[in-house]
Amino acid sequence: MNPTVLIALAILFLPLLSFVFQIFIGHRIGRPAHWVSLIFIGTVLAFSISILTNAYLLHGHHVLNESVEWFSTGDFTLRLGFNIDNVAAIMLVVVSLISFLVHVYSTEYLKGDPRYTRYFGYLGLFTFSMNGIVLADNLIMMYVFWELVGLSSYLLIGFWFEKHSAADAGMKAFLTNRVGDIGMFIGIMILFFMLGTVNIEELAYEVSIGMADGGLTLLTIAGILVFMGAVGKSAQFPLHIWLPDAMEGPTPVSALIHAATMVAAGVYMLIRIFSFLTPDALAVIAVIGGITAIMAAIIAITQNDIKRVLAYSTVSQLGYMVMAIGVGAYQAGFFHLTTHAMFKACLFLASGSVIHAMHHALHKNNDHDTDPQDMRNMGGLKSKMPITFLTMLVATLALSGVPFFSGFLSKDAILAGTVAYYHAHHGWTIFLPIAGFGAAIITAFYMFRLIFMTFFGEPADKKIHDSVHENPVPMTTPLIILAILSFATIFTLPGWNPIENHGWFTHLVSEGENFAGLDMHETTEGIHHAHNTAMTISLIVATLGIAFAFVVYYFKKFKADSLAAAANKLKLYDISFNKFYIDEIYNAVLYKPFLWWCNVFSKIDWDYYDQKFIDGWGWLTLKISDASGYSDYNWLDQKIVDGIAKLTNYFSRELKQTQTGVIQTYIMGGVFGLMIIMILFQSI
Amino acid sequence: MTNLSSLSFYLPELFLIGIILLSIIIELIPGCRKYNYFVVLAGLISVAIMLSWSSTESVSIFMGMSVSDPFAIFFKWIFVIATFYIVLISRADNSLDKRLSGEFNILLLIVMFGLFLMVTANNLIMVYLSIEMVSIASYILAGMLKNDLKSNEASLKYVIFGAFASGLMLYGFSWLYGLSGSTDLHEISAALSGHMDQPFVIYMAILLVLVGIGYKISMVPFHYWTPDVYEGAPTPVTAYLSVAPKAAGIALLIRFFSSTFTTDISTTVSNIDWTTLVAVLSAITMTVGNLLALQQTNIKRLLAFSSIAHAGYMLMVIPVISVDARAAVMIYAVPYLFMNLGLFFMAIAIHNQTSSFEISKWKGLGSRAPLMAGIMVVLLLSLTGLPPTGGFIGKVYLFSVLIKFQQFFWLAVIGVINSVISLFYYFRIVKTMYFSSADDETVFKIHPLLYWSIISCVVPVLLLGIYWSPLINFVQHSISMF
Repeated sequence: MNPTVLIALAILFLPLLSFVFQIFIGHRIGRPAHWVSLIFIGTVLAFSISILTNAYLLHGHHVLNESVEWFSTGDFTLRLGFNIDNVAAIMLVVVSLISFLVHVYSTEYLKGDPRYTRYFGYLGLFTFSMNGIVLADNLIMMYVFWELVGLSSYLLIGFWFEKHSAADAGMKAFLTNRVGDIGMFIGIMILFFMLGTVNIEELAYEVSIGMADGGLTLLTIAGILVFMGAVGKSAQFPLHIWLPDAMEGPTPVSALIHAATMVAAGVYMLIRIFSFLTPDALAVIAVIGGITAIMAAIIAITQNDIKRVLAYSTVSQLGYMVMAIGVGAYQAGFFHLTTHAMFKACLFLASGSVIHAMHHALHKNNDHDTDPQDMRNMGGLKSKMPITFLTMLVATLALSGVPFFSGFLSKDAILAGTVAYYHAHHGWTIFLPIAGFGAAIITAFYMFRLIFMTFFGEPADKKIHDSVHENPVPMTTPLIILAILSFATIFTLPGWNPIENHGWFTHLVSEGENFAGLDMHETTEGIHHAHNTAMTISLIVATLGIAFAFVVYYFKKFKADSLAAAANKLKLYDISFNKFYIDEIYNAVLYKPFLWWCNVFSKIDWDYYDQKFIDGWGWLTLKISDASGYSDYNWLDQKIVDGIAKLTNYFSRELKQTQTGVIQTYIMGGVFGLMIIMILFQSI
Repeated sequence: MTNLSSLSFYLPELFLIGIILLSIIIELIPGCRKYNYFVVLAGLISVAIMLSWSSTESVSIFMGMSVSDPFAIFFKWIFVIATFYIVLISRADNSLDKRLSGEFNILLLIVMFGLFLMVTANNLIMVYLSIEMVSIASYILAGMLKNDLKSNEASLKYVIFGAFASGLMLYGFSWLYGLSGSTDLHEISAALSGHMDQPFVIYMAILLVLVGIGYKISMVPFHYWTPDVYEGAPTPVTAYLSVAPKAAGIALLIRFFSSTFTTDISTTVSNIDWTTLVAVLSAITMTVGNLLALQQTNIKRLLAFSSIAHAGYMLMVIPVISVDARAAVMIYAVPYLFMNLGLFFMAIAIHNQTSSFEISKWKGLGSRAPLMAGIMVVLLLSLTGLPPTGGFIGKVYLFSVLIKFQQFFWLAVIGVINSVISLFYYFRIVKTMYFSSADDETVFKIHPLLYWSIISCVVPVLLLGIYWSPLINFVQHSISMF
């Protein structure tokens, strides 16, 4: 067997082993059991890096493309297999690196939790499922692992299930994702019936040789349906509502699943199927991404819970990635996925560090009412938690798109994509660059708002502020590593120019190809031309956003409250604070009418249909059944139904008589049997 | 092929003979006796290695007396695995006399050698000799428990019924020889095709051959010995009889019926409609087996009748003369091997503790030994033929062959009805394990050899229920007969 296959198998199954170990054996060992998980995931990380190195050295050849037959029925054969190209190799490193760091971080964060080992088991299950999505070479296998990450996400969001809000959030995430997944499954089935395969490369091949030309509309529909899966998993409008609630899970989980990896699975899937998405489907994708990006950014401005700000920021950034795919900026979309994974994981882990410290401080002061996640209760933590502050600042700069940090490069490329898209199509597509730049300015603003509210200014409560301490090494090390990985130079190596993205990443990830009608050459050219315009505007908007945050929250030239009141003249503040009332709208438009109809139907069903009609029949039937019941019980039941059972039993007992134990009878049975057969069948 | 050049196709058998002789010698040296067990196990592994190196050509060897073909090698694998298991766990059975364990192993190897001959036999003489070789050694094995009256009785009944059946078969062979003037199976086939004017004589010959083989696989009405022998014989021997000789009998039946009694263009010789005969006997066999199993309270007798029923299932597709049918039987044989052995091992474990084979001793296992009880449920599911187990896949292939071949559609219906009946008695065991509380709450103790053997039996059963392509591929490559 090809040694790479073994490595791929190890990458996939070692986390599963970790899960099995933690669930079945871990709880007997207790806290030291986390070493097993750390070693397993560490090995996975090492293997992933070796695969990426291999990919870099192979220059664009597939590292691995192997499959085995699972089963075949009739003409259809389903194969299970791995397909590691350069994109998958990078994604593997992203997943296993962040998973490993989160494992390390959790050893401290979850210390003393009664279900400590189970937590590590779930993390293993998640890593297994996520690697499955990355490695899968066909849509069915991807779908299976897709559901598995959904399951592990559900388990981890509801990890502290004693809290009602956590259990509800898990349920909400699971059900919301279901809506998207149904669409995805129908999409996969349409692709299968149209092109006769579920293998991603074969699908691309079939489309490229024109097998789908007759049904481009159908291909568009299939593409949009499969995209629905990504809408659910990557929290795109209108299914984004679950992600902020998912913050009920432990913070390291939010970093791993709800910021860096699982929510990016939708984007990863789009990248995988990009080559056969039609321009029409891509337009829909771009618009959804754009709406998500700007809307989530607006919501993030007014949130006070530190994790919720980050959650909406994640939704917004995922919108960017999806928009990038939609406008054909394939490389930029995946690049932003990678850079975002690093700095957003860093932000979440840093916020976890703050929450952890706050929690301990509150605990020390016997304060059980103050919310440790509310930024209004923080302030001035800079001097108390220098490492957390510095790493979070680096990640914030990266997210705001400041030069020399990774976010600048990737966000810039996406914005160039939207500008190019507008140049090519004109008309309504002006919305996309507006959404992109609008979200950029808002992002810079709310991120610095977060920094200022948390780390600067006067502490909200002096006593609590005094008892806050920096967290121990297992929590700060991952922060430092991730902060380093948020610098632009990491991604431009071997080049050193931090604003020109020509490094190993562009070397590995191509500009993408599309067989369904999008001219990739033209798109790439357009992006290239729009590059300078986009960079200039994005620098201006980032500066504006940051400056505004400085003015309001650092120098306090305006009072934030009065600004909010001014904005609220037009109800702007309320709209943002209440998340565009989407939960309320769903409640009013979907759930309430649904329940109302349920009530109506239940009333019709019970009061009229059931009470009058059915019971009328019931009365009639009762009379008839009295008569028939007598005959039924005495004849059908007692005689025929029981009769069959009795007959079986009777034959069984009669046949038992033949088993006398006397050898003479046996021989006689044999001889007579032979004779009967002889006579009965002689005519043949 | 000449005798000398045939030897290269005979390496597994030569190794086996070597091991038999070696272990007889070891048995004679007092100090070495205790190593016999390990020598035999190592020997079986060496036979398996030889087997994996075997040529996949189909050739006739030893001047046409035997053949070497992938079909035979497939069944040899089954015998090696079964024998290995039985030798392995014979140590864990408390009822076996430890002083006789050397003899036990040697006899078992002799049976295995007989089975190897049986699946490769290409000549009436070889067929007869190999069947006798298996039978005579099995008679002794069945009577291994010298002080146990039941074991003695089993042995004696086995001998008498065996003599009766092989007498009839020999009679049939003499008819075949009389009709064709040859003892070579292929020459007989050719000669029979020309005897259109003597249908009854050919029919009688076929019927008598069917009796001989039917006795080996306990086909009704030659199944009478089965429950008594299975009950009396030492449990490891019973487990072995229910798996290995049965598989060999099926293999021989396929060789006889789908090559010798079939012309080249897949029609029966001289238009003798033996297909209906086998189909009817298969229906009767599974029905009788399942009906009788309903009444049993003794696990060994229950499994005896269940093995009769399973012989009926495997017989179902013999009337369909096609490659698919042959493949279906072979596919069924593999999960059958593991699920049957697993249940017998559990019976041994419970007998070790309670000295009883009554099913009531399985009470409360669900809480006393959760893992083992869970595994038993899987094995019973598999015996019934429910997913996600290998038994289900086996049955799917059996039934699909029948349904594709419209003529015996009714047989598939009877097969399904029988599966429903079998569900009752298999799941009565599950009910006993989970819903009856134990008479005594003693800790369930199990010998580690049995424990791990049972686990190793359930793994392939479950695996084949989920991922069976490798088995199908292996069978497809093993389908060709000389």
